[in-house]
Amino acid sequence: MLRDSALRWTRRTLGVLAAVLLAVWLWPRPGELGAGPGAGGDTLERIRSAGVVRVGFANEAPYAYVDTRTGRLTGEAPELARLIFRQLGVPEIEGVLTEFGSLIPALKAGRFDVIAAGMYITPQRCKEIRFSDPTYAVGEAFMVRAGNPLDLHGYEDLRDTSGATIGVVSGAIQLQYARAVGIPDERIVIFPGAPSAVDGVAAGRASAYAATALTINDLLSRTSAPLERAMPFEDLVLDGKVIKGYGAFGFRKSDEALLEAFNSVLAGTIGTPMHAKIVEPFGFTPDMLPGEVTAASLCEAPAG
Amino acid sequence: MIEFLQMHLPPLVAGLRVTLQLTVGGAICALVLAVLAGLGRRSRRRWLRWPANVYVEVFRGTSAMVQLFWFYFALPFFGVSLPALLTGVIVLGLNSGAYGAEVVRSAIDHVPRGQWEAGRALNMSEARIMFRVVLPQALPMMLPPAGNLLIELMKNTALVSLITLSELTFTAQVQRAATLETVPLFALTLLIYFLLAQVLLTGMRHLERSVTRHRGQRA
Repeated sequence: MLRDSALRWTRRTLGVLAAVLLAVWLWPRPGELGAGPGAGGDTLERIRSAGVVRVGFANEAPYAYVDTRTGRLTGEAPELARLIFRQLGVPEIEGVLTEFGSLIPALKAGRFDVIAAGMYITPQRCKEIRFSDPTYAVGEAFMVRAGNPLDLHGYEDLRDTSGATIGVVSGAIQLQYARAVGIPDERIVIFPGAPSAVDGVAAGRASAYAATALTINDLLSRTSAPLERAMPFEDLVLDGKVIKGYGAFGFRKSDEALLEAFNSVLAGTIGTPMHAKIVEPFGFTPDMLPGEVTAASLCEAPAG
Repeated sequence: MIEFLQMHLPPLVAGLRVTLQLTVGGAICALVLAVLAGLGRRSRRRWLRWPANVYVEVFRGTSAMVQLFWFYFALPFFGVSLPALLTGVIVLGLNSGAYGAEVVRSAIDHVPRGQWEAGRALNMSEARIMFRVVLPQALPMMLPPAGNLLIELMKNTALVSLITLSELTFTAQVQRAATLETVPLFALTLLIYFLLAQVLLTGMRHLERSVTRHRGQRA
């Protein structure tokens, strides 16, 4: 009897203890309930006085991702953002991770202040947000199964190969390219993210995964699946122009002052040895500099 | 194997913490709402019954994912900018609460009418009958479906990756993006969810047992 009640007492105490420990562990830490900056007001002034700017990213190497070994937000866009915001008097950047398709709504809702995800400038996106001037330009590529069994070497090639399907990532520009070339929707497979697209091609869910050459190279360097980059690759030409993607930072339309300040520092940075040193580890080479192309000209062009 | 766990387990545990925060917070929120709306739907007063009905039908009848999106991305345009974690807890709570309200209502409806009549015959007030006679009998009937809802809620937490919260599933996606080890990573994630569900179910079973012990044997 005595042992029985002692046992029950011990069990109850342990149970309460476990519950208390769990509650302590789960209790929100300072900052976890931060409401985010909230739209409105002068953003530049606010982030200067806070000393930190929140940037949205979608975890896509090599553009913007978390290095899982160090936990640091890195990639072409965050590193460049660090450099530029430091010159604007904002010493720190804080990453907000979200899905690629949620970046624009989250920016507009004031969940962060800048999109630093290497996002392409497109006329459609220009209707929603403002872009900085581009920081790089890159062409297209396909990822296919080893040996390229369907012999795919470009968008038109894929369109004219019966039974071939194209994989794209949801929210990414390649869906528009595929449609513009005339690939019917039933032959377009939309994946939720780059890793799913890689697995999808490996598992035969799509014949090719279309993305920028940079993305494809980066993914191939990390996967062990029997996949390769389709070579040679015919450049995509729409309306007589070779299609290249121009990546940039995204801002809210109301943040004129911030965008202007950002652009002026950016103009003095792009193409300098300092810039090259920062982005080179991510596979960005001097031939990928955007040249004279501006955000304004890219916003006007008809959809790629 | 050890290396795999060393690399992926710490971030997954951090993700599990967010999943648990959402589950516990959402469950508390859902419990309160389920009782209020469940009782409200049975009320004879129209000003109680109507809001309860509207709440239950709206949140049962629309997609939880769209609700999350709406609360997180659309509400700020109306001047309400809730933190991500709080948004997740509220939306998950509102959702499960709507289903829970039906559990509460149907359990109360299933207590035989004679119990009410007996209470009245003893000159008890309606509220007293509800809390001393009917609810104690309805409670054991509510618990099994409530356990189901709790598991549902726990699994629904995976939806919140939409609103910039890195819970378990999203963390697994991030780790997967870094190493492309899809199969072992998702196997580990499934295992964590399964174990979590077992813990929750064990808790619910304990609760059921203690409630029926106190109330004596019921069919």
